[in-house]
Amino acid sequence: MRVVVLCSSPYSETGCAMAARLAQTGRVPVGAISLPAFDRTTLLRKFAQWGGRDSARFAWSKLAPRRNKTTGVRNPYLGDALQHSGKTLRSLQEIGRTYGVPIMISANQNSSLAIERLRQWSPDVVVFTGGNILRKPLLAVPRFGVINSHLGLLPEIRGMSSPEWSLLEGVPLGVTIHLMDAGIDTGGTLLKREFRELDGCDSFIDLRNRMIAFGMEMVLETVAGLEAGTIAPHPQADQEKDHQFFVMHDWLKSQAAVRLGVRPVLSVGEASE
Amino acid sequence: MVEAAGLMKGPHRIFPLLFRISADAMRSRFDQRTLYSYTSTIRPTEEALGLVIDWILRAQQPDGGVPAYYSLMRGYSESYPEVTGYIVPTLYDFAHATSDSDAAHAAERATNWLLSLRMSSGAFPAGLHTGEEQPSVFNTGQILQGLVRGYMETHRAEILEAADAAGDWLASAQSPDGSWSGLGAYQGAAHTYYSMVAWSLALLASETKATRHRSTAERNLDWVLKQIEPSGWTGGINLKGYPTFLHFIAYVIQGVLECGIALHREDAIVAASRSAWVLLRKFEVHKALLGTYEAEFKRGMSFVCLTGNAQMSCVWLRLYEATGELRYLNGALKMNELLKQSLRTRGNRGALGGVAGSYPIWGAYQPLRYISWGCKFLADALMLELRLKRAFEARACAS
Repeated sequence: MRVVVLCSSPYSETGCAMAARLAQTGRVPVGAISLPAFDRTTLLRKFAQWGGRDSARFAWSKLAPRRNKTTGVRNPYLGDALQHSGKTLRSLQEIGRTYGVPIMISANQNSSLAIERLRQWSPDVVVFTGGNILRKPLLAVPRFGVINSHLGLLPEIRGMSSPEWSLLEGVPLGVTIHLMDAGIDTGGTLLKREFRELDGCDSFIDLRNRMIAFGMEMVLETVAGLEAGTIAPHPQADQEKDHQFFVMHDWLKSQAAVRLGVRPVLSVGEASE
Repeated sequence: MVEAAGLMKGPHRIFPLLFRISADAMRSRFDQRTLYSYTSTIRPTEEALGLVIDWILRAQQPDGGVPAYYSLMRGYSESYPEVTGYIVPTLYDFAHATSDSDAAHAAERATNWLLSLRMSSGAFPAGLHTGEEQPSVFNTGQILQGLVRGYMETHRAEILEAADAAGDWLASAQSPDGSWSGLGAYQGAAHTYYSMVAWSLALLASETKATRHRSTAERNLDWVLKQIEPSGWTGGINLKGYPTFLHFIAYVIQGVLECGIALHREDAIVAASRSAWVLLRKFEVHKALLGTYEAEFKRGMSFVCLTGNAQMSCVWLRLYEATGELRYLNGALKMNELLKQSLRTRGNRGALGGVAGSYPIWGAYQPLRYISWGCKFLADALMLELRLKRAFEARACAS
């Protein structure tokens, strides 16, 4: 099974851990394409949407991430995946050197150069952990398609702030592995599972971190299932209904937190992975 | 030119004007082009509400009339009967929410001033209060809203009598198809944003139980619903020489929605929600609503029409209340953050706490002005937000 990983940054813990977990389970990625750490286009888009102050806060949160003091990583549930020979792998380049994964840095994952490189790798499946909104030419390259781990149960909860919306909408917390298409979280579902590991969960950041790690294991299971032919995409029901949610306002987040019984509010940048 | 001449009479206004223009130029270029920020509440809602209500109370004239706007070039305008009318419910709502007797007193003074403007036909005059006596359907409808609320609060017979007469005049001026056109209609043409008039008549009918007022409202509502496209586009605004400002689109939607709620017309609520949903999605995706739209919600001018935004916040909050759809509440809360950030906490009395016509201040809708109806709609949106948040929390506690 030839797998390629797409990442939002060479320092994305989710992207690095995904590549590492694939390698650790015997499916060393044949390549990884990442946006640069300091992406001018993203920053300009954030600037246009948020203005100077908030985009500066966003950039700072990316450049100086808050790491867990014990594990040395932002998402402690990915700590084990990022460990190798007693050291923590912090970048895609380190992952590449350790596991022999070719890395491409591209400011646009849809660019003709990126797609050409992807074709050269001739992947069976691409695992998306972050980056651009993917266009059709890229989506058409891998044999099985591009898969994404979505932190909500589809089709009920599409879009942003999925765990928070799930809590307010009375939909069970869960993760769905699905194929990506031109819509927002509208592609066929591959694996869907409720998430119940809430003991000791003390914030939405913690919840999200747990769900990311949970979803990562589901991705591994999905890739294995696709290879074995035991998992196939199921078109989402209820396509005509608008299930897309957007970023939740802080006050509603605080109400969702009450339902979960945790600390309420995320700040800029913390919800981006 | 008249506005600019104001600077000749009041040269002291030049520096605040230049300051405002350069501040908005800097802000719109380098920070918050659309004022959108979902990150955190910068200004508490209660504080912002106090600021806008204070703007209204400061602007009110000794005779009770409320000016249309404060211009950065010529100062306060003459009193505006239309806005004075529909500011009355806002002032009473604030008085009840905060036990503020000043606001209740201001509402009574406004009502008394309106009663003094009654025409013998029962209609109320058009435009600013300049002494001209041209009857106006829209002004009469908007003033009727204030009269109905004034009567509900005080039970004074003369207020009900004036409201009843206004309702009768509106019924007599209505065309057979349910619209209002000709004498008394702006530019002599029929407009769908007169759904606001139908809403006032529905409120009057609820209070008096008079079927004639209810049927006048129903006829207009039926006509407006026929003009709304399946896409949600609010056709028939029909203002010659003006772009379709968000303010008027929001008027159509708000009038249809509130009329639908008052008359228990599900078809109207569904139609309003279809249009409101289109704008909600645009706001969520683009982080802003445009100041104007072309037909079928195609892209118009890209300034921010703050009043239209506040109206849409009211619409989304009422739709959340009516349907329980949380995405309306989410959009409205974010919109209110945007609007609260637009308020000025320093400056002269006409700018402090005022809602500008446009952001940046030179945008096409009411440029270089702080407008009283902008304050009214923002106050309504903030009061709705506070009320619905309390209800949400109470439900959460109960469950």
